[in-house]
Amino acid sequence: MRRSEDYRLLLGAGTFTDDLQIPRTLHAAFVRSPYAHARITAIDVERALALPGVVAVFTGEDLAKLTEPGVTAQAGAEPMVMETLPTRKVRFNGDPVACVVAVDRYVAEDAIELVEVDYEPLAPVLSMESAAAPDAPLVDEDLSSNLHTRQTRTFGDVVSAFAEADEIVEVRFSTQRMTHVPIETRGVLAVWDAGRMELTFYSGQQTAHLLRTNLARRLRLDENQVRVISPDVGGAFGQKIPLFREELTVAALAIKLRRPIKWIEDRLENLTVANHARDDSAWIRAAVTKDGRILGIKAELWADYGAYAFFTPKYPIDSVGWLLPGPYKLQNYEYSINVVITNKCPAGTLRAPMALVTWATEGMVERIARQLKIDPVEVRRRNMITSRDQPYVSATGYSYEALTPWEGYEQMLRDFDLTGFRAEQRAARANDRYLGVGIASVLEPTTYGSAWYKKSGRGSGHEAATVKVEPSGAVNVSVGIVPTGQGYETTIAQVVAEALGTRVGNVNVLLGDTSIAPYGMGTRGSRGAAAGNAVAYLAATEARAKVLRIAAHLVGEPIDNLEIRDDQIYVLGEPEPRLPLSQASWTAYMDPSALPAGELPGLEIHRTYDPPAMTFSNATHLCVAEVERRTGRVEILDYRVIEDAGTLINPAIVDGQIRGGVSLGIGQALLEEVVYDELGNNQTATFLDYLIPTIDTVPNIQISHVQTPNPHTVLGLKGMAEGPVQGGLAAVMIAVQDALDGKGITIDRSPASPSRIRALFRAVEGDLDE
Amino acid sequence: MAGGQSLVPLMNMRLATPRHLIDLKNVAGLSDIAMSETSVTIGSMARQRQIELSPAIRRACPILAEATTHIAHFQIRQRGTIGGSIAHADPAAELPLIALLLDARIVVRAADRKRSIPARDFFVSTFVTALDESEVIETVVLPRLSSGEGWAFEEFARRHGDFALAGVAATVTLTGGRYSGARLAMSGVAATPVVLPMAERLLGEEPSRALYRAVAAAATADLTPESDIHATGEDRRDIACHLTEIALAAATERALHSTDRSAG
Amino acid sequence: MTAMRRVRFQINGQSVEQDVAPRLLLSDFLRDVLGFTGTHVGCEQGACGACTILLNGEAVRSCLMFAVQVNGATVLTIEGVSPDGTSLHPIQRAFHENHGLQCGFCTPGFVMSACALLKENPAPTESEIRTQLSGNLCRCTGYESIVQSVLQAARDLESAGGQSAGKADSHAG
Repeated sequence: MRRSEDYRLLLGAGTFTDDLQIPRTLHAAFVRSPYAHARITAIDVERALALPGVVAVFTGEDLAKLTEPGVTAQAGAEPMVMETLPTRKVRFNGDPVACVVAVDRYVAEDAIELVEVDYEPLAPVLSMESAAAPDAPLVDEDLSSNLHTRQTRTFGDVVSAFAEADEIVEVRFSTQRMTHVPIETRGVLAVWDAGRMELTFYSGQQTAHLLRTNLARRLRLDENQVRVISPDVGGAFGQKIPLFREELTVAALAIKLRRPIKWIEDRLENLTVANHARDDSAWIRAAVTKDGRILGIKAELWADYGAYAFFTPKYPIDSVGWLLPGPYKLQNYEYSINVVITNKCPAGTLRAPMALVTWATEGMVERIARQLKIDPVEVRRRNMITSRDQPYVSATGYSYEALTPWEGYEQMLRDFDLTGFRAEQRAARANDRYLGVGIASVLEPTTYGSAWYKKSGRGSGHEAATVKVEPSGAVNVSVGIVPTGQGYETTIAQVVAEALGTRVGNVNVLLGDTSIAPYGMGTRGSRGAAAGNAVAYLAATEARAKVLRIAAHLVGEPIDNLEIRDDQIYVLGEPEPRLPLSQASWTAYMDPSALPAGELPGLEIHRTYDPPAMTFSNATHLCVAEVERRTGRVEILDYRVIEDAGTLINPAIVDGQIRGGVSLGIGQALLEEVVYDELGNNQTATFLDYLIPTIDTVPNIQISHVQTPNPHTVLGLKGMAEGPVQGGLAAVMIAVQDALDGKGITIDRSPASPSRIRALFRAVEGDLDE
Repeated sequence: MAGGQSLVPLMNMRLATPRHLIDLKNVAGLSDIAMSETSVTIGSMARQRQIELSPAIRRACPILAEATTHIAHFQIRQRGTIGGSIAHADPAAELPLIALLLDARIVVRAADRKRSIPARDFFVSTFVTALDESEVIETVVLPRLSSGEGWAFEEFARRHGDFALAGVAATVTLTGGRYSGARLAMSGVAATPVVLPMAERLLGEEPSRALYRAVAAAATADLTPESDIHATGEDRRDIACHLTEIALAAATERALHSTDRSAG
Repeated sequence: MTAMRRVRFQINGQSVEQDVAPRLLLSDFLRDVLGFTGTHVGCEQGACGACTILLNGEAVRSCLMFAVQVNGATVLTIEGVSPDGTSLHPIQRAFHENHGLQCGFCTPGFVMSACALLKENPAPTESEIRTQLSGNLCRCTGYESIVQSVLQAARDLESAGGQSAGKADSHAG
């Protein structure tokens, strides 16, 4: 099934936020801090205001009068309060300190340079170690320490596991700071209807309703005074979730000035100030027996969360923690998480916030095999969860069911000639060529139900849909999930058509407008299928039931004797339809007296659905890579994925998620890195310095699917989208390590950039090469 | 402004804010390409794409055509010019490297005068050239490669089209199986592209892997490239050394091939 | 304020005459003044390729040019690729049939670059496609489906006898 979204996008007729044009719109630009850490001592806006075309300049003091501060609460830690724009001090290079509103973006940018801000520079806090030091300057002076989160969780009997171990295997893995890089940057067009006292907030967003709730509170408006419309969105990857300060500022000023205001972030801003992620590290010790059984593990996990909290600080690194046992039988486990606040761009949830985890778990298993001199395949055979072991409750309390990690691994070993590869690898090594293979088993948490949110703090994981069969039989559907490229308009139309017995082309899907869509939790994690599509299917199933009740009454047959196919209602066994679906819908609206007794008029269904606490998908990734000793270049020669995402609605879309996700994983493994200098200046502000994968750096990926339905979800859906990122990072990094095996080289930080590889080789080469 | 492919991004980021900008596009004759017995004269506004696709340049100065294909991406080369690239003088750029290797002459013009600057005197430092504020480049005159001269252009970039971490260009001539001429230049290893006199060590020698290794090691031993976020100076030197070996081998291969062909 | 300059040029088959500020970028002119919002701006650094258009038949970055520079030129944007504005050109159709887009923001740039690539090289190899399109960034697809889209477009255009299947070809020529 091809995508219905494509037509408008291919014709150049899509509507992204910046494509919206409304008369009298003003344009905003932000004055940003050149310092990583400094006190604001004075702001002089007079020269900027004097520039023709400038309408207003607002500072943090102004915004404090117009808005409420943001508060991020996390159980067991101090709440973090964030002003709309800082009034006292700036906390990272690029922190916004004032907003200029002008007749166009060019003038607004001219005026930025005329706003004079006096700063008193402070010592910046730029690393986990220095942030956690007892005498470190406080990044957030309302906190008692930069070490914001510190907690330990213990499962099973870790002490005995370590006491009984034959060996302790110790590994460290760190991932670099990254950023999301949607090709469409952030942006907003805020329109205040002064007559109705209503704000319309056009902005590409993943969680439109949650944003509306937050926006109304911060603007001191009632929730029914705010409408969020997320038009076409040019990618998000977890970036377009929170209410950012720039967006809130623009909304507040649109109300204040009674003029539409547009702000479209430029790329420099997107790379340096929007939101970062992945600045994580893991130190893991595994207690193992001589024959390679894992008795228990202890992990100390750290995250550098940057200057402010747009999400609960523990969220991404904690997901590494509770997932670390992965697809392995392991009940004795202890992990601690440590989250520091630093003078860097705030971090958040980049597609697969737990990305480090698969590399960490599988990297640990590889190291166990090497240290014990056992074949890594054997170590996995002795520890990995098979379908016979399920249902299986993980050390951290998650229920695994209908997962196929061991089966996927075995299939990969059948498809890929590992023995032949080892021979090729040895032969290549004799010619100073370094080949490696990495196989990574991915356990991907996909759909988080409200039970999960309750246990983890607060929030809900339910989703909502409306299905309206209009009088003519045309179907309008909406769901609370918001598409940012996933093809939801297509897949939702598919499941609704299937449930209702109509054609896909008869189903119109309208998403992203809080005045049309029912209140849902939006797009995050991998919940599109098992929450978003599932609830649409359930709503359509209810609509179908009502259509059948009406039809049964109209044709005088029992309901169980009827079916709907291609918009026609058939009596089972009859070749010709009895009546069109539209006759039932028409009756529902236009002739209610003809409805069965007790049946209410209309054919509009609203349905909510709360999926299980957690669902998982699994996959096996294989990467063959070559490391070029002389230059440090890593080239991917072969990449394969076996994916078990349960029932697939649209395999082409799932393949697209796999390819895109692996691509992001490859970007993390080889290319991307946010770099700060010793003063805290961001050094990667352009696409020439922050390198995302290009068409020549991502290989073709061979994909095969196994479909093991989840017994507890609608249609057996599991969902997927983040696992390919986890697998991409892990498979490439493990392949690189494998290529370097025997050279005394350990690669424990991503990316495996030419510079990092060269440095590792230089350390063991000495002057041999000269 | 020539093609604007380096300047306009800087203006968009407000890192450059020229008060006046003159588009040289409409100056007649500035984009012509002319061939003579000994040289190729290219107007400064000749676009990189025009150079890369010119059969005459591919014959007369193939190393220039090859190097040009490594500049950024084809949409950029569609606008980017030879004069713009040489005047911009990015130490990692391809065209300054070729200009230096071949000791091109940069013909520059002010309102009332004209002068010709050898490439070895033209590149002063990073983004700094011998051009004064009143001058623009009119033409770039490159010598043709002689028949039988082997050439190679090698660079290492993290992705296709990125600025190279290092680049190497070489030409060699062999007579009777021994090197009778050689030129070697590198980009990305200093504030300007540099010519490596070590190429002279090839003269009179027979081609061999060991020779390439020795020359490459000697050529790069004293380099002290700058470090940046993509590579340390050491990385650049290591990579330049590797590229030099490859370039010498490839240039020699071409020289031998063309000698065979002319002999056959 | 610097005086406005008049530009006259052809865009998607129409003549346009307009006064523009000298510093107005071509991309902003196309989008904000002329309303051709299918040309997307992804970086203004010349690096992402989303703003690629055809200028006199050649693919260029519209974010690296000023509106005043198109005086006398012929411009084709994504809106002019379809033969009639409503049906898909073979290149667009190939992207649709190969799932060559997800969020669609980079897509106009890829389609315009593919137009230029296929005009110059009607039967590119996969490797040539990967080299030539390396100046267009996509964060969603992982690119393979884009490679397949361009390969199919090349086949479809060839089997259509190399005939112009849409405006893209005639204007690009």
